[in-house]
Amino acid sequence: MFGELLAPQYLTWLLDGFLLTLVLSALACLFSTALGFPLCLARLSPRRLWSWPARAYLMVFRTTPLLIQLFFWYFGVTSLLPEDLVAWLNMPHEVALGPAHLEWPSFEFIAGLWGLTLYTSAFIAEEFRAGVASVRDEQRAAGLALGLKPAQVWRYVILPQALRTALPPLLGQYMNALKNSSLAMAIGLAELSYASRQVETETFKTFQAFGIATLLYIATIAVIEVIGQMLQQRKRFRRGVI
Amino acid sequence: MDFTVIRDNLGYFLLGAYPDGPLGGAALTLALSVLSGLASAIIGLGLGVALTLIRGRRRLPLLAVLGFFRAIPVLMLIFWAYFLLPILFKVDVPALATVVCALSLIGGAYLAHSVHAGIRSLPEGQWAAARALGMRPGQVLRLVILPQALPIMLPSFLNQWVALIKDTSLAYVIGVGELSFVATQVSNRVMVHPTEIFLFVAVVYFVFCASLDLAAGLLARRRSRRRQVSA
Repeated sequence: MFGELLAPQYLTWLLDGFLLTLVLSALACLFSTALGFPLCLARLSPRRLWSWPARAYLMVFRTTPLLIQLFFWYFGVTSLLPEDLVAWLNMPHEVALGPAHLEWPSFEFIAGLWGLTLYTSAFIAEEFRAGVASVRDEQRAAGLALGLKPAQVWRYVILPQALRTALPPLLGQYMNALKNSSLAMAIGLAELSYASRQVETETFKTFQAFGIATLLYIATIAVIEVIGQMLQQRKRFRRGVI
Repeated sequence: MDFTVIRDNLGYFLLGAYPDGPLGGAALTLALSVLSGLASAIIGLGLGVALTLIRGRRRLPLLAVLGFFRAIPVLMLIFWAYFLLPILFKVDVPALATVVCALSLIGGAYLAHSVHAGIRSLPEGQWAAARALGMRPGQVLRLVILPQALPIMLPSFLNQWVALIKDTSLAYVIGVGELSFVATQVSNRVMVHPTEIFLFVAVVYFVFCASLDLAAGLLARRRSRRRQVSA
């Protein structure tokens, strides 16, 4: 059933896929946190002009499957964009960042990152909201009574406590983003799941192909878990200062 | 935007080839989610109760299994089930059963922790009082604890069901003819209007999930309001 070990060539495929998975999910986490925070603020805003669109966004992106969202961005929106732009996106470019040259990512990568970011940001916004909701109203009142401006109340009173509460679920969402990045294989991005499927069809060594991929996913999740535990053990964190 | 492609294929989107062929489309999505929802509720209840009752070192293997199913992407588990189930049972397992199996295991692993948390949320005195009345642990659980804990857990069961409906879309990768599969099929056949097709499919999922989501939210809010009144 196990047979010989995988040839190095196939291990390279899996490793490349793993790297792509890591880059995709790390970028998606970064962007969706940056997007999720203003979303949460808009959702909490007393003005309907802000809160209703945010509410609609959260509802739509949380209740439709990521797979359909990816198909929508990859197949659907591409057919609406002007042809020149799609051609430009598909062309390889070089982005020069000082001495480093970045290779232009494939169109599948851009679509996958875009879809995964929007999807994850909705969940992250909800986690932030739960964190802010966990801070009692009296805290805000006390901050204002001390003469802090509303922005200062946010910065020095609400956020430190809210982020402390939101950190564990936030890390949970990062884990979800990592797991969800596997769906990008459906639009042809050669990440870890795609690579394992490919190795399996080429070699018929199903146990090894899926086994290695599964281990890599679980190991990465475990690393995120350990980082979370370490952050929560820190003294600064326990005092609510982030 | 041209939605005639939706109108022409509406029956196919909603029911698949039924009644001339197997059930598919949105109906199959619902059927899959109901089946795996029920299975994961049973698994979740069983494992959640086990988490509560088992103490000490024997708990570790259980936690490891739950951790495994929570850490593995749904897609990978569907691959594993697709490949392993026929080897284990020595028969041809239909793709439908594969998906239900994978989804219920993942759903069950998530629910187990909610069930455990729900049971733990009851005061210790409930256990002590029931034991003092001379009940056996199984009776305490069945007659005292679960009747109180189940309503608390109901919103998380509904939320898990929403997640399951969304996850049934992954059945597409092993060729189960549910809504997402049907959508890609139609999209590949007509070659035009992919935007309209995926928009329509997203709306169908939205209607399913958003109504469940609202129901879960209402239930949770009613509970907390009742608790405030009684407190």
